[in-house]
Amino acid sequence: MRRAHLLGLGFLSPALAIILMLFLIPVLLTVMFSFTNMSTATGISGGAYEINAASLRKLADAGAQESFVETLGKESFVVDDAGITAAAAAYGEQFANEVGSQMLGERFSSRRDLERAFRKLKSRPRSTRDIKKAANLFKRSVLNIRFETAGGLVGAVTDNGIEMTPDQQELLTKTIYTGWTWTSDNFALMAQIPYVWRVAGNTVLYVVLTLAASVGLGLFLAITTFYLPSSSATSFRAIWFLPRILPNVIFVLMWKWLAWDTGFLSSLFANFGVPPRNWMLDTGVNAWVFIVLINGIVGASLGMILFGSAIKSIPQSMLHASEVDGASRWQQICYIILPQLRWPIMFICAYSTLSLLTSFEYILLSTDGGPGGATEVWSLMAFHTALDNYAGNLQYGLGAAMALMLVIVGILASLVYLRIFNFNDLVAKPRIEQ
Amino acid sequence: MRISIENFTKSFGDTTVIEDMSLEIGDGEMLALLGPSGCGKSTTLFAICGIHRMNAGRLMFGDTDVTEVSSQKRNVGVVFQNYALYPHMNVYENIAFPLKVRKESKAEVDRKVQEIAGLVHIGELLQRRPMQLSGGQQQRVALARALIRKPDILLLDEPLANLDAKLRLEMRSEIRRIQLATGITAVLVTHDQVEAMSMCDRIALMDKGQIVQLSTPKDMYENPSSDFVAGFLGNPPIAFLDGTVADGEFRLANSQVTLPVPSGIEIPGEGAPMRFGVRPEFFQPGNPLKVPGKVSFVETQGREELYDVMLENGAVLRSIQSQNAGFRLGQEVSWGIEQDRVLAFGPDGNRL
Repeated sequence: MRRAHLLGLGFLSPALAIILMLFLIPVLLTVMFSFTNMSTATGISGGAYEINAASLRKLADAGAQESFVETLGKESFVVDDAGITAAAAAYGEQFANEVGSQMLGERFSSRRDLERAFRKLKSRPRSTRDIKKAANLFKRSVLNIRFETAGGLVGAVTDNGIEMTPDQQELLTKTIYTGWTWTSDNFALMAQIPYVWRVAGNTVLYVVLTLAASVGLGLFLAITTFYLPSSSATSFRAIWFLPRILPNVIFVLMWKWLAWDTGFLSSLFANFGVPPRNWMLDTGVNAWVFIVLINGIVGASLGMILFGSAIKSIPQSMLHASEVDGASRWQQICYIILPQLRWPIMFICAYSTLSLLTSFEYILLSTDGGPGGATEVWSLMAFHTALDNYAGNLQYGLGAAMALMLVIVGILASLVYLRIFNFNDLVAKPRIEQ
Repeated sequence: MRISIENFTKSFGDTTVIEDMSLEIGDGEMLALLGPSGCGKSTTLFAICGIHRMNAGRLMFGDTDVTEVSSQKRNVGVVFQNYALYPHMNVYENIAFPLKVRKESKAEVDRKVQEIAGLVHIGELLQRRPMQLSGGQQQRVALARALIRKPDILLLDEPLANLDAKLRLEMRSEIRRIQLATGITAVLVTHDQVEAMSMCDRIALMDKGQIVQLSTPKDMYENPSSDFVAGFLGNPPIAFLDGTVADGEFRLANSQVTLPVPSGIEIPGEGAPMRFGVRPEFFQPGNPLKVPGKVSFVETQGREELYDVMLENGAVLRSIQSQNAGFRLGQEVSWGIEQDRVLAFGPDGNRL
């Protein structure tokens, strides 16, 4: 490899690193997470096996036989070496040896049966209370014990004399595992969420309305500033560009001030006897108006710059020609300027569709999907599910599955756009001969 | 239609490009605005079609004052240097555009487009896009678009500048043919004196925002009003000899060679500086008024040969002769000037 090649690679490496870190790895992780059931409850590291009251209920819900669940929950009494050693320490070698020699390996389903057996021994403790205590030393249960592996759990259960069919064993280990597991249930689960179709509809509405607003406003600004004297045009463009360079939070905060029940709009309308209200969150329609305005005004600045430079690249003589051909300003815009803005307009549409699909920061900051989920869009739903759940259980897996849908839609849309645009045409030499 | 420009002044910011210019163009005439770059000829053209507003002065089309009329309403056709065809429309739509914005009926538009396309010979190209046309074809489309709504005036802004040499020749006669066929008043802006002379009835030669001379091509060639005009017209260009008046004759600078002054001109006082202009065709071996020199440059142009002859004081005379004259570089020659055709200029450059 020549040194020039290495140098080129060197210059490229920041871009490659950014693509890797900010695109490829996140996408891969999203795909990975979407096939798990990770949540706050499971944690993101491994889990353990533990039978307790809650997991028994889960087991019953999962369809285990009632008798099986009952047996698992029951205590049993087994005379084993561990119990004998404990008895030796508490009630003397003699008693322990007698138990060991006469009863080793015996199994009792209740404490009373074991106590009865103890009473037949010569060296038994004298008081009834001590016999009860001694019996307790032999109590064996799988309840409330953490096992690191499924094998440990199964071993303990069989040690306790509980018989399991292979089906039951599988159901048990699957149900009571406290960590995350690989699963494809997220996608089925997503389809079952009752509001998911409304959110999908909201997303389409959001993209279409915002796109229309930003392209329309951007075109209007580009054309009007084109006909203005250049000095005032520059200041107008600068003003309209402000929202884009303003921090998002401050921009949205100003809208909130405008719309709050003690804000500008309410104070203004109070003069006309309109009761104050939160104009942004008052109704779903209001919320949508604000969402479209907030996003549209930010989007318009990009359109304004792009369309403005595209208009400027139309040769002056072509505009002069249309003037002497008798075209009025309006006809000039319709017949000469707009047709030549076809490519920039299509580019903005394509680019904005993709970025709007995944962007939710302005909605999050302004309505947070409200009122009552009226402005909840897909990306915001994924965010809420995975990272900002009201109920407190953050479902990383389900959220990732939702995000994966966006990735798929985005990639499909990009492919369609590349086909429509015929990318080679876009990077070809300008069509307008100077 | 007659165009008259009266006391026209145009400035961009602080720069005054044209000051107090007046020009009259007759009905059906084709006039060339000729001059070097930056002389204000295109500015004048844009003022006539209304793209530039005049800072002062008056513009009349016939008997109508159009000074304040917008370019949309002036009814002029313009052919721009780069043709300014609309790239997103095909040839038919390009030509029909001036009618479309006037909302004429489809049938009417179609009839007129076919008619004009026939006139400029592009009938078979109507469905093409401008990109798919050669320079000459684009030129014809631009002409058709300019002529379609029967404008009162046709303005051509360097229409041949973007064409190759062969096409330029062809389009030169084509434009003239179409102008004569339609009888339209036309103004041609060009910096090429051959175009101006070959295509136009009259030439207005401009320099620094002023019209230096306004006359027919032949008259301007033979009777230039100043050495600037004489130097601008003619290819190969005229050669100038600097000198002074001595004993009623012209004496070359730094030399003892004297030449008689052409008859009928007023000789400035003794010792005053003077300039002789000699066109190449009037410096020939056969002429009687011999000037000795040395061939310093030979250029073969096929039918003719062009020689530069350096005189003993370093001044250069040009001669154009039919081929096979056989002079070589460095050869000592003594060729003659045709005395009556010498153009004499005074110290300020004006013709004597």
